[in-house]
Amino acid sequence: MAVSGFEGFEKRLELNFSGDDPAAGMGLRRLDFFSLEKVLHAVQCTVVSAVGNRYFDSYVLSESSLFVYPNKIIIKTCGTTQLLKSVRPLVDYAITMGLTLCGCRYTRGSFIFPEAQPYPHTSFKDEVVYLEENLPKHLSCKKASVMNSKSCYKWHVFTACDEVHMVAMEDMHSDDLYTVEICMTELDRVLAKKFFRRFNDGKTGDSAGKEMTEITGIRDVNRTALICDYAFDPCGYSMNGLDGNRYSTVHVTPEDGFSYASFECVGSFYDDREEFFAVLQKVVKIFRPAALSVSTTCPTGHEIWRGVAKAIEPLGMRLRSRAADEFPAAGTVVSQTFTTRRK
Amino acid sequence: MASEEGQVISCHSVDEWKQHFQKGVESKKLVVVDFTASWCGPCRFIAPILVEIAKKTPHVIFLKVDVDELKTVAQEFEVEAMPTFLFIKEGKVVDKVVGARKEELQEKVDKHGVLTA
Repeated sequence: MAVSGFEGFEKRLELNFSGDDPAAGMGLRRLDFFSLEKVLHAVQCTVVSAVGNRYFDSYVLSESSLFVYPNKIIIKTCGTTQLLKSVRPLVDYAITMGLTLCGCRYTRGSFIFPEAQPYPHTSFKDEVVYLEENLPKHLSCKKASVMNSKSCYKWHVFTACDEVHMVAMEDMHSDDLYTVEICMTELDRVLAKKFFRRFNDGKTGDSAGKEMTEITGIRDVNRTALICDYAFDPCGYSMNGLDGNRYSTVHVTPEDGFSYASFECVGSFYDDREEFFAVLQKVVKIFRPAALSVSTTCPTGHEIWRGVAKAIEPLGMRLRSRAADEFPAAGTVVSQTFTTRRK
Repeated sequence: MASEEGQVISCHSVDEWKQHFQKGVESKKLVVVDFTASWCGPCRFIAPILVEIAKKTPHVIFLKVDVDELKTVAQEFEVEAMPTFLFIKEGKVVDKVVGARKEELQEKVDKHGVLTA
């Protein structure tokens, strides 16, 4: 590992809202851009490109992604961004729109360069304290946990919700959806090179991004999704995928010494399981990382983590650790880590 | 009309749309159509950027169509994501940008908005 470099590992924040929506069903999507920019400024990132469909808005940020649904916001930022600073302003803006926060979920892996993180990301403990101080008091059901704590690919989870939602989970998310967060490190060098801009290629970041999506095979992970992609100069790549009401997102830090890639998407437990495994395999083949973690968050009672190891092991990786836990409103979180057999 | 050059013209009815579309065909100018929705955040992000591009390229016609106001037009051009920018020359769609992608937008305005004699 390099002594220092760009931190690819993201912090992910999901905020769920409920309440009378005077904006005829569009809720948070009605938030004006000036206010959104102020939130992003507090986090220290900017909008690079964006696209929306009938169900949600997506933004490619200078440091990862933002998704805005009528009653849910998901922000994922990397580097040394202070993601949690978005909590207060977002909750306040939502109140002006007649929406109340009813749930919060914060997750992240382990930083490659933890010393470089600013407060409150200096430690998970600091993050949890900060969240508790900045979330409204009615989110009284909380839980914080470090999963796979003995492995070097720990998965940090904090969730909070109000008592009403603790009892009746249906409002929090569509019953049948789950999220998958994949973090990959030590990417295959040759494959990682595809995420470097060619010198003086005369292309815009938009068109270079489109090219990277094609040549790396990312386009084939889900051919029906609309993709908004961007290639950073001199290297780095981000994309958001929109497929009906489901988002997907890929971020790549290709530099040797601290290479990292993430893939996140939404699935339904009514989907064909084989398709889900095929997606996992495609992602691993695009990056061929030396290590990866797959974390699934799913309503309690549905074991979508089953079969993940069976799908990934044939690609030359071995399951090293697995942890499962229940969290308020989020349901079951299962985190599994894999490393290549050569390790 | 010279006074509309350098501006983004909003079409609020199918007739207005047809009028401006026809002007584009007759003048042989590039017509860039911004399909937007009032409830779509990315459209708000790109709006001021489009205004700036329009100011700098008065020889291109810039139109704005709200997909709820002009449903039939949005359906005719199969607009599914917003914003969608269509590049129309002599009545035919020659290119498009799906999403608020400012670099790609500028690049294509430059490419297709070549000044005709």
